[in-house]
Amino acid sequence: MTELSLRLAVSLAQIAAVMGVVMLTVMILTLAERKVLGWMQDRMGPMEVGPYGILQPIADGLKLFFKEDIVPAGANKFMFSLAPILAMVPALIGFAVIPFGPSNKFELFGITVEPFVISDINIGILYILAFASIGAYGIILGGWASNSKYSLLGGLRSAAQVISYELNVGLAIVGVLILAGSLSLVKITEAQSGGFWHWYVFALPAPQIFAFVVYVISAVAETNRVPFDLPEAESELVAGFFTEYSGMRFAFFFIAEYANMVLVSCVAAAMFLGGWNAPYPGTILEHVGLGQFAWAENIAWFTVKAYLFLFLFFWLRATLPRLRYDQLMKFGWKVMLPIALGNIVVTSIAVYLFPR
Amino acid sequence: MQPLIETLMTRFPRAVLSVEADTARAEVSVRIAADRLIEVARFLHDAPEALFDHLSDICSVDYPEDRQRFEVVYLLHSLPYRRRLRLKARVPEDNPAIASVTGIWKGAEFLEREVYDMMGITFSGHPDLRRILMPEDYAEGFPLRKDFPAEGRGWRSQFDFIPRLDEAPVEQTDSEIPERDKQAFRAEAAPSSSRRREELLLNMGPQHPSTHGVLRVVLELDGERIVKATPDLGYLHRGVEKLSEGLAYMQIIPHTDRLDYVCAMANNYAYVRAVEKLLGITIPERAEYIRTIVAEMQRIVGHLFWLGTQALDIGAMTVFFWTFREREVLLDMFEKLCGARLTLNYYRIGGVDSDFTPDLVLRLKTFLDTFPEKVKEYDSLIASNRIWLGRTKNVAVISAEDAISFGCTGPVLRGSGVAYDIRKEEPYGVYDKVDWEVPVGKNGDTYDRYWIRMEEMRQSARIIRQCLDQLPAGPIIADAPQYIPPPKQHVMRDMESLIHHFIIFTQGLKPPKAETYCATEAPKGELGFFIVSDGSARPYRLKIRSPSFVHMGAFDHMARGYLISDIITIFGTYDIVMGECDR
Repeated sequence: MTELSLRLAVSLAQIAAVMGVVMLTVMILTLAERKVLGWMQDRMGPMEVGPYGILQPIADGLKLFFKEDIVPAGANKFMFSLAPILAMVPALIGFAVIPFGPSNKFELFGITVEPFVISDINIGILYILAFASIGAYGIILGGWASNSKYSLLGGLRSAAQVISYELNVGLAIVGVLILAGSLSLVKITEAQSGGFWHWYVFALPAPQIFAFVVYVISAVAETNRVPFDLPEAESELVAGFFTEYSGMRFAFFFIAEYANMVLVSCVAAAMFLGGWNAPYPGTILEHVGLGQFAWAENIAWFTVKAYLFLFLFFWLRATLPRLRYDQLMKFGWKVMLPIALGNIVVTSIAVYLFPR
Repeated sequence: MQPLIETLMTRFPRAVLSVEADTARAEVSVRIAADRLIEVARFLHDAPEALFDHLSDICSVDYPEDRQRFEVVYLLHSLPYRRRLRLKARVPEDNPAIASVTGIWKGAEFLEREVYDMMGITFSGHPDLRRILMPEDYAEGFPLRKDFPAEGRGWRSQFDFIPRLDEAPVEQTDSEIPERDKQAFRAEAAPSSSRRREELLLNMGPQHPSTHGVLRVVLELDGERIVKATPDLGYLHRGVEKLSEGLAYMQIIPHTDRLDYVCAMANNYAYVRAVEKLLGITIPERAEYIRTIVAEMQRIVGHLFWLGTQALDIGAMTVFFWTFREREVLLDMFEKLCGARLTLNYYRIGGVDSDFTPDLVLRLKTFLDTFPEKVKEYDSLIASNRIWLGRTKNVAVISAEDAISFGCTGPVLRGSGVAYDIRKEEPYGVYDKVDWEVPVGKNGDTYDRYWIRMEEMRQSARIIRQCLDQLPAGPIIADAPQYIPPPKQHVMRDMESLIHHFIIFTQGLKPPKAETYCATEAPKGELGFFIVSDGSARPYRLKIRSPSFVHMGAFDHMARGYLISDIITIFGTYDIVMGECDR
C-alpha cells in the first residue's frame, strides 16, 4: 500500500462522486427543462412516468439504451463511433478542476485530501477551455462521418460557431484573470470571499459586468442552446449533426450537451459569482457556532448559483427565436468581440491605476 | 367592360371568335383563336384600358365530342379596374399545343405545368414543362381527360415501393444519382468551364420536420446560400377535381374540407358560394351573418395556426403553444356548432347546417373580450424581439410588381403593398355592412406579412363582434325547393316538398348549363372555384384555384440568394398547406 495507490484510490473516489453528481444533475436537467418549458407554455410537461413524471429521465435513458444502433450506409464507421465519445469526454473532464466547496484540507493516512475539488491545478480555467474546444471536434466529426448533407451542414455551422464563441469566452474571462492574478479556479473563488460586493461581477475597481454578459451569451452559443442552436436547428437541418444518430450514441451527444451546460454554469458561478462563497461575509452556520458544517452551506450556495444559471438556459429556450447563421457570426465578431476586448483594456487600466 | 370588348374585336378581328356575356353572373368570356393567344394576352396585360395584370388561374376543359377537343381557359383579373375576364382557346386533340403566356404573367409557369400534367396540353415556349402534381415517370396518360377512368388504371399495383411477394427484392444501390436527373434542379444548364464551382444539391422533404406537410424542395446551395430552389409538389395529390366530376354538387362539400384542412370553413364557403352563383339563389340574411362570423372565426383559427408554426420555424417555441390555447377555444365552439373540429362540413348550398345558439353567441363574445389581450401577449414575445425582427425584416422580399405577376393573393400580395382583398373588392356575405379595414404592408418582406396577419386577426375579431350585434332572426337556409332540400317537417306533410326532396336526393340538384368563377378570400389568399356545368347533377369540370399552389410558383423567385434558414420562414410566410396545394 504505497502512497501512490492511496492517492489513486482517493482520486477515483472523488471522480466517482463528482461524476455521480454530474450525471444526476443531467438527469434532473432533462426533466427540469421539460417541466419548466411546460409551465412557461401553459402545459404540464411529462406527467405519466411516476408521480408528476419524475421518473421520466430513467424511462428515457432505458429507451435510448435499448434502441437499435444504426450506422447509416456510407458512413465512416470509426469516426461515426468516435464522435459521440469525443463530444462527451471533454464535457465531463472539465469538472476535475471545479471547486464545489471550500478548500478544507484534511490528512488521510499521510496524504492531503481536498474533498471539494478533484484536482487544483494552477491552470484550471485554461484546462477547461482547452477541453471545451476538443468537444467541438466531436460535433464536427459526427456531422462529417454521418454521410448526410444535413449532418454535414450542422457540423460546419458548429465549427464556425464554436471557433467564434470560444474566443469570446476566453476573452471575457481575461478580465477576471487580471483581477485574480491566477488561473486556478480555487484561487479565483477564494479571492471573491466576503460578500457579494467582492464577486468579480460587481467587484471594484473593475466590475466585470460586461464580461459576464459576454460570457453568458457566448456560453449559450458554445453549448449550442437556443437562440444559438444552429448546429441542430430542428426546423432547418432536421437535427443537425446528430440527425443520423440513434440509441446510445445519440444519448452520448445528449449527455454531452447537458454536461456542457452544467460545466459552463459552474464556471460562471466560480468565475463571476463568487463560486461557493455566500453573498454575505462568512457563513450563517459559522455565526451560530456550527463552523464544522459551513461547507454544506457553501456547497448549497454553489448549487443555487449553478442552477439559477441552468434555469436561464431554459428560460431563453422558451422565449427566444433562433438566430440565422450570418447574424450569429456578425453578432459574435462585431458585437461580442469588441466588448470583450474593451473590457480587457478597461480592466487593465483600472487595475494599474488602483492596485490592491 | 363593353368598350373594352369592342376595342378587342376591332383590334383583333381574326383572333376574337366570339364573346359570351353572362349578365346574370356579371361574367364575360372571350373565345379566341389559339394561334393568336399571345398577341391578345399581351394587349390585355399591357393596354391602359385593359390592364389585366393578375392571372388568377389557367384551367382546361375536355370536350371529347368536339373537333377542337381541349379548351384552355385563362381567368384574368384586373387589379386597377377590379374586373375579371375569361379568355378561352380551343386546341385539337392531335396537336394539343398552345403558346405559353409565361412571358406575360410569371405565375403562369406553374399553372401551365398543371394543365400539361392533367390534360396533356403542351405550351410552346414554357421554360420548364414537366409534370407537377403526378409523378415525373407517370405514364398512364392525363388524368383529367374525360376518357381517363376516375378510379385510375390499376397503377397502384405497379408502385415499386409496395413489396410484392412474387418478385425478388430490388437491389439497393448506394450509388450517386445520375447527373441528368439532377439537371432539372440546377440553376445553370452546364457547369461553367472557366471556374470550377461546387454547388451542393440538398433535398429537403417530403419528410422534414418543418416543410408544412409533404412538400419537397430541392435546393441548390452555394455554402448556405440558395442558388436555386425547385419545389416538387404533388405528394398529397388526391385528384379532388377528378373526383368532383363524379359527385353530385352537395357531395363535394366534404371534399373541400380536406383541401386546406387548417381552414375547412373557408373552403366550404368558397365552394358553396360558387355553386350558389351558378344556381343564382339568394341567401337569407341570418345565414349570411352566420357565414361571415364563422368564416372570420376560421380566419382567426387559420392565422393562429400560421403564427404558431411560423414562430416554431424561426425557433420560438412558446408562441406555438400559446396560439394553440386560443385555437382550442375556437375549435370547441366549432364542435358545439356542427359537431366537428377540423373537417367541419358546415356550410350548405343555400345557407348553413345549424343555427347559432344563444349560449354559443355568449361564449363567442366572451372569447372576443379576451382575444385582443392574447394577441398582445403573442406580440410581447416576438413583435419587438430583435432576433425576430432580424429573421423577418428584409427576408423573402417580393415587390408589388412581381407579386402581381406571380398571381399572389391574400397576405402575400397585401404585404407588398397591394390592397387587394376580395372581401372589400367584391363584397360577399355581410362584409359591406360592417366596419373594418384591410391592413397593407410596405416592403413585401416576411415581417410585413406577419404584421398583416396579426392585424387581420384583430380585424376579424372586430367583424365578428359587429356581426354578433347585428345578427338578425330568420331562416338559415334559402327557400329554393328545386335546388335545396326542403325542411324535414315539410317533407312529412306536404306532397310538393316530398317530391322535391325525393328528386334532390335521388338525382341531385341540377344547375343550369353555364360556367362560373367565384373567388373567396380564404385566410391564405384567393380561393376560387371555376365550375363548368352541363346541366346535369354533377359538375362537368371543377377547377380549384388554390392560393398555396400559386404561391409556390413564386417560391424560387423569393428564395434565391437567401440562406437555408430563410427557406423555412418562406414556407411559413406563405402559410402553405399541402392539402390545398396538391389537391
